[in-house]
Amino acid sequence: MSVLRISDLTIDYRLGQGSVRAVDHVSLEIEAGEAVGIVGESGCGKTTLGLSVPLLLPANASVSDGHIVLNGESLIGRSEEEMNHLRWKSVAFVFQGAMNALNPVHRIDKQILEAIQTHEPETSKDDAYARVLELIELVGISPSRAKSYPHEFSGGMRQRAMIAMSLACRPSLLIADEPTTALDVISQAQILALLGELRSQENLSLVMISHDLSAIKKVCDRIVVMYAGVIVESGPTDTVLRRKNGVVTAAHPYTRALMGAHPDLSGERILAPGLAGNPPDLSKPITGCRFAARCPEVMEICRTQTPPTVTITPGHSVTCHLSVRSAS
Amino acid sequence: MNDDFMAVEDRDAEVTPSTSRPGVWREVWRDTMGRVGILTLLGILLTIFLGPVLFPFDGQSFGASAASILQAPTGAHWMGTNELGQDVFRQFLLGGRISLYVGVSATVIAMVLGAGLGMVSGYYAGWRDTVLMRITDFFLVLPTLPLIIVLAALFGQSILITSLVIGLTSWPQTARIIRSQVLSLRERPLVMRVRSLGAGDWRIMSKHILPNVTPLIFANLVLVLSGSILAQAALAFLGLGDPVQVSWGTMLHNAFNSGAMSSGAWWYTLTPGVGIVVMVLAFSLIGHALDRVMNPLRRGVR
Amino acid sequence: MNARYFVRKLSTLVVTLYLTVSFNFLLFHVLPGSPVQLLARSGHYDAAAKASLTKLFGLNHGLLTQYFIYLKNMVQGDLGFSYTYRKPVTTVLGAAVGNTVLLVGTATVITVFIGIWLGVKAASRANSLTDTTITVTSLTLWSMPDFFTGMILIFVTGVWTHVLPISGIETPGLTVGWLGHLLDVAKHLILPALTLMLVNAAEFSLITRNSMVDVMVDDYMVTARAKGVAKKVIVWHHALRNALLPIVTATALYVGMVLGGAIQVETVFSWPGMGLLIYNSVEQRDYPVLEGCFLLFAIAVIATNFISDILYQVLDARVRNN
Repeated sequence: MSVLRISDLTIDYRLGQGSVRAVDHVSLEIEAGEAVGIVGESGCGKTTLGLSVPLLLPANASVSDGHIVLNGESLIGRSEEEMNHLRWKSVAFVFQGAMNALNPVHRIDKQILEAIQTHEPETSKDDAYARVLELIELVGISPSRAKSYPHEFSGGMRQRAMIAMSLACRPSLLIADEPTTALDVISQAQILALLGELRSQENLSLVMISHDLSAIKKVCDRIVVMYAGVIVESGPTDTVLRRKNGVVTAAHPYTRALMGAHPDLSGERILAPGLAGNPPDLSKPITGCRFAARCPEVMEICRTQTPPTVTITPGHSVTCHLSVRSAS
Repeated sequence: MNDDFMAVEDRDAEVTPSTSRPGVWREVWRDTMGRVGILTLLGILLTIFLGPVLFPFDGQSFGASAASILQAPTGAHWMGTNELGQDVFRQFLLGGRISLYVGVSATVIAMVLGAGLGMVSGYYAGWRDTVLMRITDFFLVLPTLPLIIVLAALFGQSILITSLVIGLTSWPQTARIIRSQVLSLRERPLVMRVRSLGAGDWRIMSKHILPNVTPLIFANLVLVLSGSILAQAALAFLGLGDPVQVSWGTMLHNAFNSGAMSSGAWWYTLTPGVGIVVMVLAFSLIGHALDRVMNPLRRGVR
Repeated sequence: MNARYFVRKLSTLVVTLYLTVSFNFLLFHVLPGSPVQLLARSGHYDAAAKASLTKLFGLNHGLLTQYFIYLKNMVQGDLGFSYTYRKPVTTVLGAAVGNTVLLVGTATVITVFIGIWLGVKAASRANSLTDTTITVTSLTLWSMPDFFTGMILIFVTGVWTHVLPISGIETPGLTVGWLGHLLDVAKHLILPALTLMLVNAAEFSLITRNSMVDVMVDDYMVTARAKGVAKKVIVWHHALRNALLPIVTATALYVGMVLGGAIQVETVFSWPGMGLLIYNSVEQRDYPVLEGCFLLFAIAVIATNFISDILYQVLDARVRNN
């Protein structure tokens, strides 16, 4: 049984008079022990998708369609109290930047302790605190720093503290939103290594949301590429992000553009091509492929008909008219 | 929130701060509280400036007999009479002007001093800032109304002196607020660029800093105005108002001291009091709406 | 707590106190038409009193000498002589201080609790009818001068009905035991304290609401929600704890305001405290008493500022370690 099954999830934001469809009929499945990376530019809906699992969307967002099933339990429509029981125990969230994600007036150990005591009130204070220290050590922070305040930690340490806190209730699923953005390169590497370790040690299922392809490649087995609220490509990381002799083998033009913007460190020196234009306005209805306006390989059919989802190889699918031709 | 690498091109542009959007006033008008405030203010201004013209009753002559003292409202006297038999309605119409004059004059003094000092302090920073802020902090600490009372008692009760006194006690808060804003403005890339190009201090202050500070000045101005009107009312009530020109506060002073309360002469007390409340409330509503327009997050989108 | 921060604030306190005393001297003794000198020359004092006044303030010496004499007197606790009460100013103040502390203290405690509670309620239901009602009511109450609020209460409870006493601190000629006396004072305390509370609770609720709403959009609030923490705990333990910081800062300003309000309220209700003392001394032009009252008020605000600075440090770890 899969840990997480999202089917046809559709999320709208009410803004002023109109609404914006941030996520449009997205389906995703995560097995136990899997690590899936969700990549896309800002505004593509990946954070919204991530926040929707623990039902942490802001008040002006609503789920208009679809299901979220976590460990066999359907989540949409549950009350706040019910969700409070499930949050952190079944699914934990690591927020990006951890700059303000940790309460500035509470000590770190107290914040982690709160997570434990909220969900396991029968645990004695000593046992709970022992676990707090365990977790802190697990992520590589010295237990002597446990009584510190968030502002006394560096960015990297804060992120580790957030990760430690997220594991407090032994969740089956961990969602990390941009865990390495706003960190320096060394800290990034350390955090990614930590995530990889924790995955195997704790048999964690991981969803990592990022715009950094190299981070996803390091940690995730599968990658899902989102654009303007839909999934355009998904498959094993090795397949989708492969470069063969300097040539990118991803199936979707957008993925290829993303790869192009992340040039190979050992490859020849090229001028990283960007992508002109902007994502479409999601407050208006969209005909055809959402990427059509910026696609370097756009065809006439792309502007009028929504592209189908095509399976290229088992486990690797793409939503594009171009692949229809090559698949058939 | 999302410090995306893709947002880099935004960082250096002259991002208009939310405080200097043109059409701020239009948004205040759209806000319900702001609209009520503006309309109420217009109503009051009409009343106190047109009222005496439209209703040229005699507010000065004393009552003919003992019976005409502290009369309840009648056809002849729409708001009754006071302890001297004078028409309360006429006094009410005239009294509002004094409150407004003193309020506005005091506010002008406070804003010029406060904004001026705040801008200089925030722009030059350094030792000038330290000195000015120490002085400001000292004056911030002195309790306002007691200080106003002392100054009025020592220096006089004319409208001019009252305005000066209230204005001189209200500037520290404004100075602090403007200074903070200017301090952060001068670190903006645009200002630094213009400075490195050799633009003079005055030019920078007037062309680049002042426009961005103006909405904040307005928001604070409304607050200071409310406070000044209340201060003038309190002064007049305590007997330190201008004895010749009857303001609403003076009316309340007379009402209180003449025993109008124990005789149940509610018309004498209620009318000037409600006048003060409505005038201050109008400004408070506008100020509150301004605050909401300039700080959209404050509206509490959960 | 950081010792260096404490010492820094303490030295600021001392310097400010000194400056305030000097400012007082400037106002009352130096400026042209200095009232103390005027008094000495006026007919209010008889020859013996004038002589002692001159000796006390050194009026026949130069200004600088007067200044030092003044400082010396201050340190010795000598604030001058009231001509309306024919007693030392310190004696006159002493009787009144207690009454004002009782009034302001009671009002403040209620104000803080109710104001914060209302502000939290308004913020947690932001933009709902509750929020709008509380906000508009607070704005209206804030727009009412303290003395007018008092007058309305007097009409409602004392004139049209006769529920509560509307003047003084005790019923004259009442002969009961100390408990009865206590209750009598408490009854007289209700209206003036209520008046003070109405206006200031409004201010507190507005400040709390704005501070809470500012805090509620911070990232750690989402983290708390993600952790599955109950809403009540989030509002009071996470949000308010952070929102308290601006509220504590506002308290320092509040004290200045409530003292101004106390002057008005004590006048309206004839409550024999320092506010009434100021009112009477202004009427009688009894400048020594006025000076003493002003000094005490200033000291109260300075002391409260100091306490709130220290409290801020206790509440916010970021300030502590700076």
